[in-house]
Amino acid sequence: MRNTFLKWLFLFIAAAFLLTFGVSFFIQTEQARENAVNSIKLKMDDVQKQIMENRENIAVIRAIADASALAKARAFAKMIELKPSLLNSPRELENIRVRLDVDELHVSNEKGVLIACIPAEYRGYNMAGSKQSGAFMPALTNPGFALAQDPQKKGINGEIFQYAGVARIDRPGIVQIGYHPKRLRDAMEVADIEKLYAGFRIGKSGRIIIAKDDRIVSINDHWFIGKSLQEYGIPPEQLRTEDDFIVTIRGTRYIAMARNYEGYTIIGVLPHSEMYVGRNDMGVLLIVCNLVLFAVVFMLVSFLVQKVVINGIHKVNRSLEKITKGDLNERVEVKTNDEFISLSNGINSTVSALKDAIAEAKARIDAELELARAIQISSLPNVFPPYPERHEFEIYAAMQTAKEVGGDFYDFYLIGERHLAVLIADVSGKGIPAALFMMTTKTLIQSLAESGLAPAVVFTEANRRLCENNEMGMFVTAFMGILELDTGKFTYVNAGHNPPLIRKAGEPFEAMKTHAGFVLGGMEGMSYRQYELFLDSGDKIFLYTDGVTEALNQEQVLYSYASLEAALNTENAAQMDVRRLLEHVSQELDRFTASAEQADDITMLALEYKGRRDQ
Amino acid sequence: MTITHTLDGSRLTLLFEGRLDTNTAPQLEEELKTALNGVTHLTLDFAQLVYISSAGLRVILAAHKQLSKSGGMALKNVNKTVMEVFEMTGFADILTFE
Repeated sequence: MRNTFLKWLFLFIAAAFLLTFGVSFFIQTEQARENAVNSIKLKMDDVQKQIMENRENIAVIRAIADASALAKARAFAKMIELKPSLLNSPRELENIRVRLDVDELHVSNEKGVLIACIPAEYRGYNMAGSKQSGAFMPALTNPGFALAQDPQKKGINGEIFQYAGVARIDRPGIVQIGYHPKRLRDAMEVADIEKLYAGFRIGKSGRIIIAKDDRIVSINDHWFIGKSLQEYGIPPEQLRTEDDFIVTIRGTRYIAMARNYEGYTIIGVLPHSEMYVGRNDMGVLLIVCNLVLFAVVFMLVSFLVQKVVINGIHKVNRSLEKITKGDLNERVEVKTNDEFISLSNGINSTVSALKDAIAEAKARIDAELELARAIQISSLPNVFPPYPERHEFEIYAAMQTAKEVGGDFYDFYLIGERHLAVLIADVSGKGIPAALFMMTTKTLIQSLAESGLAPAVVFTEANRRLCENNEMGMFVTAFMGILELDTGKFTYVNAGHNPPLIRKAGEPFEAMKTHAGFVLGGMEGMSYRQYELFLDSGDKIFLYTDGVTEALNQEQVLYSYASLEAALNTENAAQMDVRRLLEHVSQELDRFTASAEQADDITMLALEYKGRRDQ
Repeated sequence: MTITHTLDGSRLTLLFEGRLDTNTAPQLEEELKTALNGVTHLTLDFAQLVYISSAGLRVILAAHKQLSKSGGMALKNVNKTVMEVFEMTGFADILTFE
């Protein structure tokens, strides 16, 4: 039972474990994914904010730089108005350039042709000659004109350069200054989209990718700059939504998100494996904690079950085993809890009821056995003298029964007027079967004998019939003799019984010479020999069963045939009639056995031939 | 009563010690029920048997009948007292003695 219980407990706990683990794994997975998406989103927000801030910074710096450049251009125009001759002095121009802290100075005439320059080689260049310089041409007609151009890369060396210009004050013309916008350049460098990726990492190895017009402009791997997103591994159709998606970039799975901002595509990617690191760590922790917890629960429950249930059951079982083996005085006393108290009480009252029932049944059986015994004994002739009108013989018989129903019996009856049959027998075994077998044997032999058959024929036939349906394997030893009352001829047959003793006139009792045939009912096909002898007046025959010779005293000593013979041959025994003789033997036997319990029936029969009726 | 079993192939020898009477015969009957499985020859050694009653005779007769169909049953070392019982009851005529 314990194993079954533990099996189910284990299954239950395992199921609980799996369920807990499964649910928390699922929740953790969702959480991890949400966290990943949020962290990507936040980084992208940061990138977006950075781009915006950079732009604003640049705009402010630009405004300041533009204002300062235009102020310088206006100051230069005022200087020319005050002293037009300086246009012809390269030394003074250079002086002014240094003072204004600019790189180039250009002044045109009313046609837009440069008349004074640093560097000097630009002299004669027509401002209308290019798109960039042409932007300043309106100054020729508009005295309030002022323009600070966007910084742009110079064709010669790619350096960022800016021009600002106003109208001449003294006469129509253009005054222009050119310079490297250092602060602006610095600000732009900071704001360089290409370098933006480096400032943002997502988790441990997640990153930001920025593209413009499907060309990558900012990425950790410089090789991909200018390549399309498709080439990098991000399919363009994923970029249309703001939802997260999964991509495989060079063999690694990533969770990714994309958004468009100010013409840029900002993409955040985080390795799939990294996304679940937290979850996996949590999973391992959960498994360990759960295993410990469940192991403790398992052991605790198992221990409690052992203590509260199993031990109780074992105790009950031990008691039940004793009860089953017949110890009805055993009481079940398991008081560990209400259920066991109830069970114990239930068993105890059942056993007690059983005990009462058995006692009752035993009393009834005892009563019935006693009745059976009484019937058995009453079936034997027990009125003496049985034939008061007969003078040819005297007969006396006695059976002293043992406690248990036995199988001894004696019998005698007249066959016709002239014959007397005497019989003594001992059925093997005891109890009701022996008693029933005895009754059968007695009736069978009587009916055969009364039909006038010779003793040997009676036994042969009785044996045949007793062997039929004798599944119990019972048998009976028997001695029968038929006395012809007129002549004293005694014809007898012995089926395995103790030979009777005979006392001829003037001689002591001695064993009758017989060759014993086989017991009755023991084996089929047995035949019996009969013998005969002649009795004279006063001759006695003593029949007995082994209950006499095998009676035990308290020292477990057998009474023995010799003692019996001696008792029969005591001096005064010779004068006794048959009744006295039997009583005498009985007394001798009682003296021998003293208080020892009688184990077997003690049966004796004595017959004295008195001679012919007419003698 | 104690009964010692010695099994040699299908030959079983039982050595008896004590009394074979109403009280001990059921013990022998019970032991023979299982001990006779596959046994063709049974030898009862009565060297230490001091007494036999009719209940004991009944069990011996049953064993004799059972074994007479296979190999047979024999008795040996039967003492005088027990032999007298066999003779008196006619068992001596049907049993085999070694």
